[in-house]
Amino acid sequence: MKNIFALLIAATIIVTGCNKSSDAGAPSSGSSKGKKVTIALMPKSKGNAYFISCKNGADKAAKELGVDLVFDGPTDPDPAKQNEIIDNWITLGVDGIAAACENKEGISTALRKAKAKGIKVITYDADALPDAREFFVNQATPQGIGFTLMDEAGRLCNDQGEFAIITASLTAANMIEWQKYIEQRRAEKYPNMKMVALRPCDDLKDKAQSEATSLMSANPNLKLIMAICSPAVPGAAEAVKQAGKVGQVKVIGLGLPSENRRYVKEGVTDSVILWKTEDLGYLTIRAAKAVVDGDLKPGATSFNAGPLGTIEIKGDNILLGKPFIFNKDNIDQFNF
Amino acid sequence: MKYFREISVALALLALLIALAIVAPAFYQPQPLLSLATREAPTLIVACGMALVIICRQIDISVASQFAICSVCAGLLASMKLPLVIVLPASICIGAILGSINGVLIAGLGLPSIVVTLATMVTWREALRWQRQGEFVNLPDNVQWFGLSQSAGQWTVIAIAITLLLVLAVCMNRMAAGRFVYAVGSDAEAARLAGIPPQRVTFLTFAFMGALVGLAAMMNVVQSPQVDPKSGTGIELKTIAAVVVGGVAISGGRGNLWGAFAGILLLACISPALTHLHIESYWEKAIQGMIILLAVVADGIRTKRGSA
Repeated sequence: MKNIFALLIAATIIVTGCNKSSDAGAPSSGSSKGKKVTIALMPKSKGNAYFISCKNGADKAAKELGVDLVFDGPTDPDPAKQNEIIDNWITLGVDGIAAACENKEGISTALRKAKAKGIKVITYDADALPDAREFFVNQATPQGIGFTLMDEAGRLCNDQGEFAIITASLTAANMIEWQKYIEQRRAEKYPNMKMVALRPCDDLKDKAQSEATSLMSANPNLKLIMAICSPAVPGAAEAVKQAGKVGQVKVIGLGLPSENRRYVKEGVTDSVILWKTEDLGYLTIRAAKAVVDGDLKPGATSFNAGPLGTIEIKGDNILLGKPFIFNKDNIDQFNF
Repeated sequence: MKYFREISVALALLALLIALAIVAPAFYQPQPLLSLATREAPTLIVACGMALVIICRQIDISVASQFAICSVCAGLLASMKLPLVIVLPASICIGAILGSINGVLIAGLGLPSIVVTLATMVTWREALRWQRQGEFVNLPDNVQWFGLSQSAGQWTVIAIAITLLLVLAVCMNRMAAGRFVYAVGSDAEAARLAGIPPQRVTFLTFAFMGALVGLAAMMNVVQSPQVDPKSGTGIELKTIAAVVVGGVAISGGRGNLWGAFAGILLLACISPALTHLHIESYWEKAIQGMIILLAVVADGIRTKRGSA
């Protein structure tokens, strides 16, 4: 049984390998400038709309730079499958790998192996251990997220009135970090706004709806609900709608456009904040190509990403920049 | 006093409500209260089933996973444009099947219910996570509130839950089937000698629990235009707590649905009450835990006194 399995895997590698060389003109392992570069892009899972959107951006960059893009990943988020695919890529001899890691420790061994073979490795969306890759394309810093949320709240409320935050849990490290920056921004720029409550929703849409309902009845002057975990945004919006307070209580939050589209269009939710996934994919391929070409080396502090402009690099993090705000006018352009 | 526990929970609830009336009268607004009742109706339905299971001297911690599976299945069926008259029974049937699986393993093979339902809880939950990857199910427009107006839909959900509670409470008291559950829960061997088949009663209790979860899931699905595949998470703790707080003995055979009802009301009011009293949410879980602890301690003291 085991032998058959091994044979199957070997066959797959040979077949995929042949396919590749036939349409890419044999990507040799010792590629240099001038030769066509092959970069492999790994999503956490292939069918996920979020990563498909990343791939669209990656395709654009690959076309502009004349890069051969290989896109493959597990059908479901599966660290073991990710390792398997990276092993295949090592055998294939790609020039660069850009991976979104399902499991930090799990994937790092495979990535180190690739690095040892001379393949340039970067990560995006979710990082590996620092020694397993050269750069991490970081889609959003806690400061960027916190400041953007508070700026949106301040803009919508004209720096006036009460707001409440619904978070996933009171102990989640990333949310505490965001809250810190939200409060810092509020104190600096929106001193007339007051945070009246912070409620956890356990990352559940239904609980967020209940919490938002009691927040509104307990705080009659509430002007805005800021939902900082993704299920809480539609949950809060549904509560506002059912309470008949659309417009009176505004909803903003950190979430996926697809989950909030109906509420944004109905005017219940004003803004949904996330990064532009296409830009993330685009920047990742630009960065990977630059690393492969030797144009981007550890220690760099900025990087020219073509149409995206000059991108800041902090340590070994390539920063995508400010989060993107989805609203009524643009939400239909995004399908993840 | 026979109904000591039920009465003390009701008094605790009353005290909380009076305190709110004095300190935070804003709690008493029709729309938010109606909304709160609607949101808790599915929990009440599950709590009814949980009361039966615990009276039968068993436990079912897989209800949250069953709830999520029923919700997602109902959502997917509804998004295939099937009418609610088909989706609702389908959801109940799926729940009953999941409950029967527990029932077969527990009653048929004599396995401990806590282990079996722990296993099914994890299995169903992970299977669903694998299948949906956290993605919401979007529902067609006519599903929310059964296609009625919001308030009509809310009252329908509440009416269904309350009717179920009344019918079950009467059945548990007056009908043979209900007395069988008590008999098996207090002493399975004695029940068998009296001609009651304990295995069949246990199996049917779990299957019925599943069916109720299917109904509850549906009552939750109609409250929103999207189904969260994590729907119902934590409902097992909430319902077990409500049932125990309401005076159902965890050792089986004793308690009733009215106590469970009072327990649900009490636990359901705590979270909004804290919001209204502007108490930091850090305290919420601690207060819930304290209430459950009090109930269990009261139970322990009574059992000890009874046996001494």
